[in-house]
Amino acid sequence: MGKEECKTMLDALNKVTACYRHLVIALGSTSDSQNLREELKRTRKKAQELAVANRTKLTSLLKDKTITKEDRAEYERLWVLFSSSMELLEVDMKRSLEIGQDFPLKVPTRHLIQTGMTGSTTTVAARAMSVQNMKYEADSNIDTADLRDLQSEISQVTQMMEEMEMKVQVAPWAVEAKQEAGAELKSNMSVGNSSVGVISICEEEPKEEEGGGGSRDPGFASICAVLVFFVIVTVAVVLGYLVVNMS
Amino acid sequence: SSVKLLLVSLLSSEARNFGSMLVALGYIYPLQDHKRLVIKPDASLYRFQTPYFWPTQQWPVEDTDYAIYLAKRNIRKKGILELHEQEHYNRLHKWMNHKWDFIVMQAKEQYRAAKERKKPDRVVFECQERAYWVVHRPPPGTVSAMDYGLDRRIDPNTVEVTGESLCDLFKYNSCQSCLPSNPWLTDDATYWTLNMPNVEIPTKMRVERWTFSFGELLSDPRGRNDFRLFLKKEFSGENLAFWESCEDLKWGTAATMREKAEQIYKTFLARGAPRWINIDGKTMEVTVKGLKHPHRYVLDAAQTHIYMLMKKDSYGRYMKSPVFKETTKKAICPEEHKFSDNQLEQNARNRRPSLSPIILRQMEEEQKAKMAANVDITQLCRFTTPVPHLAVYSGISDFPSATASPSLPFLAHTPACPSPISVALDSTSASERRVEASEGEGEGNPAARGPVGGNVSRSRMALSLRRLLKRGCTPSTMFASLSPKCHSAAGTSSRIQPISPNQPSQAPPRRIANFFQIKVDIPPECRIYPIESEDEEEENRAASRGGVGAKEIICPWESLTPQNGTG
Repeated sequence: MGKEECKTMLDALNKVTACYRHLVIALGSTSDSQNLREELKRTRKKAQELAVANRTKLTSLLKDKTITKEDRAEYERLWVLFSSSMELLEVDMKRSLEIGQDFPLKVPTRHLIQTGMTGSTTTVAARAMSVQNMKYEADSNIDTADLRDLQSEISQVTQMMEEMEMKVQVAPWAVEAKQEAGAELKSNMSVGNSSVGVISICEEEPKEEEGGGGSRDPGFASICAVLVFFVIVTVAVVLGYLVVNMS
Repeated sequence: SSVKLLLVSLLSSEARNFGSMLVALGYIYPLQDHKRLVIKPDASLYRFQTPYFWPTQQWPVEDTDYAIYLAKRNIRKKGILELHEQEHYNRLHKWMNHKWDFIVMQAKEQYRAAKERKKPDRVVFECQERAYWVVHRPPPGTVSAMDYGLDRRIDPNTVEVTGESLCDLFKYNSCQSCLPSNPWLTDDATYWTLNMPNVEIPTKMRVERWTFSFGELLSDPRGRNDFRLFLKKEFSGENLAFWESCEDLKWGTAATMREKAEQIYKTFLARGAPRWINIDGKTMEVTVKGLKHPHRYVLDAAQTHIYMLMKKDSYGRYMKSPVFKETTKKAICPEEHKFSDNQLEQNARNRRPSLSPIILRQMEEEQKAKMAANVDITQLCRFTTPVPHLAVYSGISDFPSATASPSLPFLAHTPACPSPISVALDSTSASERRVEASEGEGEGNPAARGPVGGNVSRSRMALSLRRLLKRGCTPSTMFASLSPKCHSAAGTSSRIQPISPNQPSQAPPRRIANFFQIKVDIPPECRIYPIESEDEEEENRAASRGGVGAKEIICPWESLTPQNGTG
């Protein structure tokens, strides 16, 4: 159904946006490299594809006048999710342009900031692209060539967002969030289970998070332990009684 | 904008300043003690921040980002956030509620993305982000470099963060040679205590500053006190007092200006004033003229004159005086603090707010009042040299006559106090009347002029009139000289009139008796101004009549209320 599909796509966009931000943060540092530039480019393009898809879907859903009020509220909530993601993406694209211009790679001496990061960001990019391993095929002048592309893409995205503002009349502040404070501590948070080629990461989050709330966990565990103890004691008492009776 | 690292081969203190700037703005961050963005002169480690988190491009620091960061931190810390973080979190949850789903989603995704990296890089990434937010959302009790406040000089619309504005941001870091220690760095306020405005014993560096220029001496309250002490010993304290009064006038509230200007005139400028200052005739002329319509800067010319006088004359002598030598000898030079890390922590914990500015202001006012009460009238007429253009000083004339010879009769201990300010009320009409008055007896319209004496005064006036006419003086200047004579007419109350038109025409008897009395302990024969031989007889007569001893200056323009006695 339309709603589920929407949620899935939004999840994907959200994930790619998060990864993109992580990659942009690595720009200009010791993690910066040709590969990073290529990762940025591909992640960015994927984000835009998802953005367009989301926008089309959501606008068509919202334009539908026959939907119920609850549905409409839900779509508006999804719309706010979508536009927030887009805002983040646009900001990061602009920032990556500025930093990319400041830190050229094809120069005799690269002036990258010694931030202390040594590894690459390939795993993050792989997560964004939903692949196992990234393959790098770009030219060596990707840093300059990509910047030109980036500029045009930024203007495209800006334009898209302006259109969104104009065409879709959703008051973001009127939306009520479904998540309460501290919801991030619970796992399985996503809007819907995204299944669009996502690498299923083994939930490295500690078991306690699934219990719900850090502060509650010790109590819960101890109560369980006490119950088990009493069960065992009861069983032992019963057995003892039977043994006594038998003799 | 390209990254320019200034290569500074400077003194280590300069380097430390620059380093402090870098760390406070977030270009580098400390690995230990991450909340205190300072450069410590030890072996602690710092790391460069990634360009995304630099403040250079002045990208807006969004609350959305902060909320996402707090949510990520919540996940990482399993719900245990610091107090100020919790507060921010709750506040943002309330105000950004409509975006909260997005924030939670992003937080989780960003958290997972970061986990994709190798452990050491993940740690670095977390440190970077944390450092960024320490800069832009400083924990309580820390100083934020992003807090420009009133010192902000850069235009918010410009893109560049210039070096100059960076320096302005760090004024507190500019006390390079702070002894014993820079309070901003060590949390020890001794430096401030030792350098309070009116501390008993100043520091050596402060005393040295006074030798740089006269301006330095005056602008430091402690220096000014010392200078005042010296002047008191030299009996030229009125210069500094006048200068201070001028400052007070310039910086005071508009409501009090008129009153202050009158007070200054009475105390410093009028003939026979208790603390008469010695300024040249031209300046006096200009000043008195300006006092008719007083404004904030009316005394500027006189003030500058006195300032230059003090600078050229007294200042040099002060530098060689025993007062200054004594102060220099007693000045202290505190030892530099060497705090260990533990001590620094303790200092940070023991930070206390300083005295409330309200209390400080009260103390200032009290001190001022005390000083005002202790004013010594150093004006002994023996020491003052008369100035030619006496006629001008009365201030009522619209056209000060430069031709008037200093021959006007004047009683030694009866200063003329017609305030030019109040005369201005009806100056034009007054002058006209004066012109008429000169023809005959006329003491002029009582309401327009200062108090006019009784019969004795009138006769005296007539005498003077005739004399002046002979000499071709303008009647106005002549008229001015007549005012002081009024006091001699003790008893003839009816003629004494205040300047202000609203005043009752009848002055209370008590007034007359006190009228034009000075609180000056000078023998009657002492004369401030040259007096014509012809008048001496009159003077003496007046003097004997007027009474010797403690007299007080009262200005005629004051409202005649029963309790109003002093000028």
